[in-house]
Amino acid sequence: MSDAPAAVAELEGRFGADAFTVQETRSGFPTLWTSRDNLPAFLKFLKTEVPRPFGTLYDLTAIDERFRQKRDGQPESDFTVLYHLLSYERNEDLCIKVPLSDGDAALPTATGLWPSANWYEREVWDMFGVRFDGHPALRRILMPLTWEGHPLRKEHPARATEMGPFQLPDERQEREQEALRFRPEDWGMKRTREGTDFMFLNVGPQHPGTHGVIRIILQLDGEEIVDCLPEIGFHHRGAEKMGERQSWHSFIPYTDRIDYLGGVMNNLAYVLSVEQLVGMDIPDRAQVIRVMMCELFRIASHLVWYGTFAQDVGSLSAVFYTFNDRERIFDIVQAVCGGRMHPSWFRIGGVAHDLPKGWQAMVRDFVNYMPDRLAEYDKIVMQNRIFKARTQGIGAYTAEEAIDWGVTGPGLRACGYEWDFRKKRPYSGYDQFDFDVPIARKGDCYDRALVRVEEIRQSLRIIDQCLKNMPAGHYKSDHPLATPPRKERTMHDIETLINHFLSVSWGPVIPAGESFVGIEATKGNNGYRLVSDGGTIPYRVRIRTPSFAHMQMIPLMSRGVMVPDLLAILGSIDFVLADIDR
Amino acid sequence: MTDVLLQVAVILGVLNAPLILAALLIWLERRFLALLQDRYGPNRVGPLGLGIVLADMIKIFTKEDWVPPFADRAVFTLAPAVIVITGLMSVAVIPITETIGVTDLNIGLLFFLAMSSMGVYSVVLAGWASNNKYALLGGLRASAQMVSYEVFMGLSLMGVVLMAGSFSLRDIVAAQQDIWFIVPQFLGFVIFFIAGLAETHRLPFDLPEAEAELVAGFHSEYSGMKFGMFFVGEYVGVTVIAAMIVTLFFGGWMGPVLPGIVWFGLKLLFFILIFILLRAALPRPRFDQLMAFGWKVLLPLSLLNLVVTAGALLLWKA
Amino acid sequence: MSDAYLPILLIFGVSALNAVFMVALSHILNPRRPTPQKAMPYESGMIPLGDTRARFSVKFYLVAISFIVFDLEAVFLIPWAVEMRALGWSGFVAASIFVAVLTAGLVYEWKKGGLDWD
Repeated sequence: MSDAPAAVAELEGRFGADAFTVQETRSGFPTLWTSRDNLPAFLKFLKTEVPRPFGTLYDLTAIDERFRQKRDGQPESDFTVLYHLLSYERNEDLCIKVPLSDGDAALPTATGLWPSANWYEREVWDMFGVRFDGHPALRRILMPLTWEGHPLRKEHPARATEMGPFQLPDERQEREQEALRFRPEDWGMKRTREGTDFMFLNVGPQHPGTHGVIRIILQLDGEEIVDCLPEIGFHHRGAEKMGERQSWHSFIPYTDRIDYLGGVMNNLAYVLSVEQLVGMDIPDRAQVIRVMMCELFRIASHLVWYGTFAQDVGSLSAVFYTFNDRERIFDIVQAVCGGRMHPSWFRIGGVAHDLPKGWQAMVRDFVNYMPDRLAEYDKIVMQNRIFKARTQGIGAYTAEEAIDWGVTGPGLRACGYEWDFRKKRPYSGYDQFDFDVPIARKGDCYDRALVRVEEIRQSLRIIDQCLKNMPAGHYKSDHPLATPPRKERTMHDIETLINHFLSVSWGPVIPAGESFVGIEATKGNNGYRLVSDGGTIPYRVRIRTPSFAHMQMIPLMSRGVMVPDLLAILGSIDFVLADIDR
Repeated sequence: MTDVLLQVAVILGVLNAPLILAALLIWLERRFLALLQDRYGPNRVGPLGLGIVLADMIKIFTKEDWVPPFADRAVFTLAPAVIVITGLMSVAVIPITETIGVTDLNIGLLFFLAMSSMGVYSVVLAGWASNNKYALLGGLRASAQMVSYEVFMGLSLMGVVLMAGSFSLRDIVAAQQDIWFIVPQFLGFVIFFIAGLAETHRLPFDLPEAEAELVAGFHSEYSGMKFGMFFVGEYVGVTVIAAMIVTLFFGGWMGPVLPGIVWFGLKLLFFILIFILLRAALPRPRFDQLMAFGWKVLLPLSLLNLVVTAGALLLWKA
Repeated sequence: MSDAYLPILLIFGVSALNAVFMVALSHILNPRRPTPQKAMPYESGMIPLGDTRARFSVKFYLVAISFIVFDLEAVFLIPWAVEMRALGWSGFVAASIFVAVLTAGLVYEWKKGGLDWD
């Protein structure tokens, strides 16, 4: 923060020093407050006019500030809408906040600047009731269309017990079904074209090819997709709302279920963000253990993708082989963490316990075993000519489009844009590891697959380095807020006993402030924005997931292709419904 | 009189054999696929899990036999019957050994082609009668598939006809006394094999039911035994195509030492296993790719095969 | 009528009976529990928009039409194939010309883009 980034100076030069105020946060990038009137000009300036612009609307969300105590120096606000911009050229982030009052919670839309703003603005409307004037279709996105209220407002109930028992009698079921009935006119789609009627086909939510409960409505001319419309929210479980009633520590298991294939990778983004709020240093051993487990889960997640992608284009066997390999990873995870898919194993300040005896042998076996398997999968999947015919040239987008739509991870690297958060903004000591960032050129389904397959090999390299260079030391920080405190530091005297008791029963009290950490997760950039009001529970948890942004691109990628291609595209994106809907 | 009785007995035997075989094939396919895919497959009911065949039959006969109110009832019921009837009738012309076989038509080969063309209607009709969008798309794909491979399926066999000088399948087997037609007619075999895969809607050509795309395609709305009949039809189809490959290219019942029926059975089993192996190994092309492949590659190749074979035969004779 | 066709008739009867038997047996054995959900066409659990009896563009109709043409023409090759030896070189030349014309037609359609569609 000390050497203020150029963007702030540029804004000051263009709009004057009075146009905004700077807020101190722990996130490491500037957060500016401006007014509703200034906002459109600000965004336009940053997206189009400034040199090396902020091409990506990385996140757009809101905070219900009405019950927040500690907001020293921040402008008066009931609802704060937050635009998180990212510039790859500068490798810089910038946050712009706009205060709104409860009676007049409305903003002009940003969809004209970033196409990806569409879903984010719908989400803010759905969750907070903030209107976006000029939005093409401002309606609920995550909640059922019949829902009343806006869930992330503080007055909205957070527990089922506050709402009365859920019942679904026939007439209510009919009402809900009717609400989901698709009307092309609502979305500006035509029913007929000269000489032919379009067929509107629901793919999902109950469909074997969609990998979960997502609905994609296709406008078909023959089997050609004229247009399509993804509908999400069937898997929404209110993870962000739950964050507002869990202690800092007890929210960790909820994160596992966001990208449920990523396991501890989710924990990492969350605990890094909490540690940023505290300013906690993590011992080297804990760092390397974290990296090793994360990379194991990256491989596990990519293996699931590999097999199911092959299955989406009709190759039935690979999925069994890759799942068997994933079992081997789970055996290691089980030995280390106790859990398998959702170990919830990282802790604020480190990890839950030290590595078990004999872990080296298990990891070494796996690192030695996997390369041959990958070579075999290359033969049965990647080099298969029918597979190539089905995936090459299908669902391609350019790097510019990817940046515009907020694509991160393998989807971005497949367009030839070499950007890996582990390299560009090393966290958890990734700068100490030797690995390459695989890229591809054309950005089609095949290239996305290529990138992921190569990433498995790079992850194996990283794990191998962890194996050979595991540092000695503690697996958890000495910091008093590390949760739960390390056993050997507790129950020596009354002070440590009290500290342990409070930390376990209430959870740590995290100092007030705001933080943000985004990591290179399995599917793209996963980020946790935390707002602490100086209590034992977060005031606001915002989970920025990669799949949400990726899914929004589906219409762009699938116009003009055929139904089978849509399934190839869906498979190549590698999304997880819980990661979209949270 | 005894002749007629014998005839009826043979018909019943030969006809029920593929039905039993179809049931066993379901078991075989599941076990063999499981073997190829590192898993167990059905292994609980009876020895080697063979009891699953019976259990499946009991299950499927007692499932709700649902005809949706929005479907075209008559066509909906007719469609699965068509595939079973045409499949079983194709069996009639296959010479299992010199003596066993229902009938030896002088146009046996044409009869087989006719029956297999009829069989495709089953899928198209089912897709249309279901009045379901997935089913309709599946049915359309079936017709797209039909118009792309039927045209060369017959032509690919004309090389065999040229060499044998007859449409009678028994004559064709007899003509392979010196050399199996797989050697001179290798190209014809490859083309026919691909067409046969498409004919039976087996992966990689299972486009009409492609489960990842169309849920269950043409039989999305089918349940109970009507669904089961498509299954039976598919396996009878696999058996028939495998039997035709054996008959036309691999010398039918001929082989040393062992009796003819054993040779026929072994060769048949081999090709059925190849069908299953392909299902485990290959992805599924898109149907425009399949059509382009049929029209732009296989059709010209089969025409070429025809002319070259005829020319070579005439030269060799002269 | 040749004797060989009698078994065909028999086998048709038996297979048809078989099919009827399968349908009938399951009709007798099956339980009937209709629900409103079952009475709806399956479309991933959503209420379908419109039904399938609509004008629908079949993009491969051109291929379908050429299929009729080519399949019919292929029929002419079948009798020649079986009688090829008897017809000798003159038959071969005639058939070759016929195949050449067929191929020319195919090439023409190919070049005109009749085989490409999407």
